[in-house]
Amino acid sequence: MLTYLLRRLLLIVPTLLGVSIVTFAIIASSPGGLGGALLGPNAQLRPEERKAIMAYYNERYGLNRPPPVQYLKWLNRVSPIGFKAIDTGFPGSLKFGLKWCDLGESWQRHRPVADLIGEALPITLLLECSSLPLIYFFALTTGIAAARARGKFVDVGLGTVLIALYSMPEIWIGVLMIGFLTNREYFHWFPTNGLHDITSDAMLFLPSFSPVGFQRGWLLDTAWHLVLPVVCLGYSSVAYLSRLTRGSMLETLNQDFIRTARAKGNSENVVTYRHALRNSLLPLITVTASTLPAILAGAVVIETIFGLPGMGLLFTDSALQTDRELLMALTLIFALILMISFLIADIAYAIADPRVSYVD
Amino acid sequence: MQNRFGFKDLVFLALFLVFIFVVFLEMKQIDRQWQILSELKDQSSTQTQLLASISRSIDTLSTSGIAPTTQSSNSGGVTLKNDPFFTPLKEAEAMPDFARGDYLVDNFQTKLGGILTPYINQDLYSYWVQAKIFDILITQDPNTLEYIPELARSFQASPDGLTFTFQLRHGVRFSDGVPLTADDVVFTYNFVQNPKINAPRTRSYLSKFKSVEKTAEDEVVFRMSEPYFNTLNVMTNLPIIPKHFYSKFGEEEINQNPGLVMGTGPYRMPDPKGWRPGQKVVLVRNQLYWGEPPAFDKLIYNEVEEEAAQETMFRNGELDIYRCTVPQFDRLSKDASVTSRATGYAIDSFLNGFYFIGWNEKRNGKDTIFADKRLRKALSLVTDRAGLCAQIYLNHAKPISGPLWIGSPQADPAIKPLPYDVEGGKKILADLGWIDRDNSGVLKNSQGTPLRFRLSYATGSEFVQRVVLFLKDNFAKAGVIMEPDPQPWSVINQLMEHRDFEAITLGWGGGDVESDLYQEYDSSQIADAGDNFISYSNPEFDKTVRQARQTMDRDARMKLWQQADRILFEDQPYTFLYSRQEVRFIDKRIHNVKRTMAELNVVDLWPNPIPWYVPKGMQKYTQP
Repeated sequence: MLTYLLRRLLLIVPTLLGVSIVTFAIIASSPGGLGGALLGPNAQLRPEERKAIMAYYNERYGLNRPPPVQYLKWLNRVSPIGFKAIDTGFPGSLKFGLKWCDLGESWQRHRPVADLIGEALPITLLLECSSLPLIYFFALTTGIAAARARGKFVDVGLGTVLIALYSMPEIWIGVLMIGFLTNREYFHWFPTNGLHDITSDAMLFLPSFSPVGFQRGWLLDTAWHLVLPVVCLGYSSVAYLSRLTRGSMLETLNQDFIRTARAKGNSENVVTYRHALRNSLLPLITVTASTLPAILAGAVVIETIFGLPGMGLLFTDSALQTDRELLMALTLIFALILMISFLIADIAYAIADPRVSYVD
Repeated sequence: MQNRFGFKDLVFLALFLVFIFVVFLEMKQIDRQWQILSELKDQSSTQTQLLASISRSIDTLSTSGIAPTTQSSNSGGVTLKNDPFFTPLKEAEAMPDFARGDYLVDNFQTKLGGILTPYINQDLYSYWVQAKIFDILITQDPNTLEYIPELARSFQASPDGLTFTFQLRHGVRFSDGVPLTADDVVFTYNFVQNPKINAPRTRSYLSKFKSVEKTAEDEVVFRMSEPYFNTLNVMTNLPIIPKHFYSKFGEEEINQNPGLVMGTGPYRMPDPKGWRPGQKVVLVRNQLYWGEPPAFDKLIYNEVEEEAAQETMFRNGELDIYRCTVPQFDRLSKDASVTSRATGYAIDSFLNGFYFIGWNEKRNGKDTIFADKRLRKALSLVTDRAGLCAQIYLNHAKPISGPLWIGSPQADPAIKPLPYDVEGGKKILADLGWIDRDNSGVLKNSQGTPLRFRLSYATGSEFVQRVVLFLKDNFAKAGVIMEPDPQPWSVINQLMEHRDFEAITLGWGGGDVESDLYQEYDSSQIADAGDNFISYSNPEFDKTVRQARQTMDRDARMKLWQQADRILFEDQPYTFLYSRQEVRFIDKRIHNVKRTMAELNVVDLWPNPIPWYVPKGMQKYTQP
C-alpha cells in the first residue's frame, strides 16, 4: 500500500509538468500575443498611452524573450526547488535549493496571484459550504421517498418535478428570481445583490429586538443574502443526486439481505435507514469525491448574476483576459486538487471494499 | 454490540460543524468591530494631534502679539473670495431646501479592476474614486471648461510655455491632518517619473516635463523641455499624494498594494491602506477637509454587472444613478413607474469620444486602393451616418464631421458632416474606374476586379456588431463588397501595430477639452508602431499641427487647429462616423442635477465638489 501511495504521489509531479507545458503553450500561441491582451478588455484607446503601456509591460514581464525561456523562468519561480537569486548586484549569483513557491503577479490586476486566490476562495467556500448540506438533505429525502413509493404518485410526481428542475438553465432561473423575487414592483423578499446590506457594518451580530423594532443582525443578513444564490446553485444538483439516490436505493432494496432484514421483523424505517441507505450511499460518495475540484472552481454563472466575486469569476476572467500568471496558477492548483481527490477516492475504495487492494 | 456511526452521530456532527461555523463568523464580526474601533482610535489620535498643533500655533501667535481672532482669509486663507472652484457648491447651499446628509449610491458596471492606489490604478472606475479622494493643482470648471485653481491658490504660465508656477493654498491638510506643502507636489512628480513605479500611463503624459522645483514653502515651478499647448491639461491628471504616507512604502509594495489611498479630497477611505478588491467601495466624509464640505455623508459604489440585477436595484431605489444601454433607456423612459421617480439624461459630451472607419493607406510597403483620397471620400459619402445613429443608437448618437467634439472651438464651424449621397459617391467611384460592368450590382475596375475590402472590428460589443452589419448594407447599396472581420481585441491591436489590415472600425476615447491631433494623424507617428496606424500622410497637415502644438497663444492656435480640421475633412483619412451620447437615470431625490458644458454638474472623473444634495425630508440612509 505504501509503495503504491508513494508511486502515485511521485506521478503527480510529471503530470503537473505536462499540464503546465500544455497550458503555457496554448497561452503563448494565443492570437494577438500577450502584450495586446495586457491593454485590457475595455481599452478605451487614448493614443499616447497605448504604446507606453505596451513597452512597459513587455519589459516588466519579459514578454520579448522566446516562449521556452519564459516558460523556464516561470517554472523556476513556481517550483519549490530551483534557483534563487541571492544577490541582486551585477552579475548576480544564483543558488540552487529549496525556496518558497511564488505564483507570480497577475498581469491584469497587478497583484500577487496568491492574494487574489485568498480573496476569492472564502466567498466560493461560503457559498458551496452552505449549499452542499442542503443539496444532500433534499436529494436524500426525496430520493428515498421516491424509492419507497416506487411507481406510485409520489415517485412519478417527484420524478417529473426533478427532471423539470434539472432541465432549467440556472442563468434563466437566476435572472427570473432577480426580476420577480427582489423587485419592489413584484415581491421584494430578497436582496438583489452582494453578500451584505449597505448598513451591515453598523449591525449587531445576532438578531435582536430593540425599541425601533426587529433588527436582523449581521448573521441573518448574510444568510438572507445567501438564499437566492444557494437555491439557484443547488436545485439542479438536488435533482441529479435525488435521481441517483433513488436508483441505488431501489437496487439495494431488491437484494436478499433486505428481505432477510424484513423477515427478522424489523420495522420498515429500520430497514430503509439502517440497512438499505448505508449500502446505497456508495455511488453518492463517488460522485462527491469527484465534485471536490468543481466546488473550488466555483460557479461562474451564479457569481455573475448575484455579484459574488468568487473563484469562478476569477478563473473565467483570467482566461478571457489571457492573464497568464493567474491562469497558469489556477490551472496548476485545480490539476493538483483533482489528482489528490482521485487518489483519496482510490484509497477510500480500498478501505470501503475489501476486494480492492493495491498490494503488488 | 458494535459501536457504529449512526444517525444520531450524524446529527450531532452536523450540529457541531454548524456551531464551529457560527463561532468562525462571530470571530469575523468581532474582527470587523475591532477594525471600526481602531479606525475610531486613529481618527481621535489625529484629531488630538491636530488640536495640539492648533493650540501651539495659537500660543505662538499670542506671544508674538497678534490676536488669534484676526481673519486671515485675504492673505491666502483656505477659502478665497469668489473661489470659482466652490461656486457651484455655494450656489447649491443657497437653495432653500439644501441639506447635508444621506448617501449617494452609484454603480460601477463591472467589477473594479482591483487597484485604487493612484497612478498604479488602471480602469476607468478607479479614477472616479480617485477624483473624490485626491485633489489636483488645477482643474476645469464644468461650466466654462476654463482651468481653475484647486490646490493651487493661483498659477502663472510663462509666455514661452516653458515654466509653470503654482502657489499653493494655505491650510490644506491630508486626511490624516498633516499639512500639504510644496514637498508633496515635488514628491508626486518624482513618484510618477520613477521607472520602478508601475505608472506607464501617466508617465507617458509627462514626457515633455524637465523638472519640478520647490521655490518656497508654498510655491512650485514645473519646467518643460519644449513648449506644449496642453500642459495644463496634463496637470489635471496629477493628483497630489502625501510624501509622509507614500514614502513609507517600497516601490514593489506600492505596485502591489491595491488600496493605498490618502489625499486631501472631501472624501476618504475609512482605512487608507486596508482596502482590498471585493470589498465594496464606500467613501466617508473627510472630517479634516480644507474646503467647503459637500452634502453627502458617504459615497457608495456597487459593483453589479448583470443588467437585470442593475435594473431591479434601480427600480427598488437601491441605486441613485443608473447608467443603462440605449435600448434600456428608451424602454424605461416610457415606463411611468420609472419616470415618476427618476429623470433620464442623454448627454452629449467631449468626454464620450468618437467612432470611425480607418482606411489603411499602406500595406507591406505598398500603397493600397485607399491611398487615393477620392476613393475615401466616395466611401464616406455612401455611409448613411444619420440612419445609423437613428436605427442602432435610437438617436442617442450624432454624425460627426471630424475628430473634434461637436461645438469644439478647435473645429471649423463651417464644416458640416458629409451628407448621405449614394449617387454622388458612385459618380466619384465611376470617375476612378469602378463601374458596374456586368449588371451584377458590384463595381469592378477595368481588369474586372471587384471593389471589395475587409473591415476588421473588435468583438465583444453588440452595438459594434450591428454597426458593422449596417455599414455592410450601406456599402452593398453602392456596389462595394465589405466583408466583416470580427477579431478579439488583442488581435485587433496586433493588426494595427503591424499595419496588416484593409479597413478597421474603432473608437477613440475622449476626455480632453482641446485634443491633440498629432498622435493619430501626423506622419511621424507611422513609424515605430505609432498611432497613425493607417499611414496617413499630408505634409501640409503635419506642418499645421506641429505649429499648433507649440503655439501658446490660444486664438492663434485655434486658427491652426481649424485649418487642420479642414484638411482632415478634405482628406477623409478616417470615415468619421458618430459620437455617442451617455445615457443615465438619476433618482429624483437627488436635487440640483444640471447640465453643464462638460457633462452634468458632477463629472465623475473630475475632483470638483459635488453640488448635488438630498433635501431633509427625502433622506433615507441617515438615521433621524
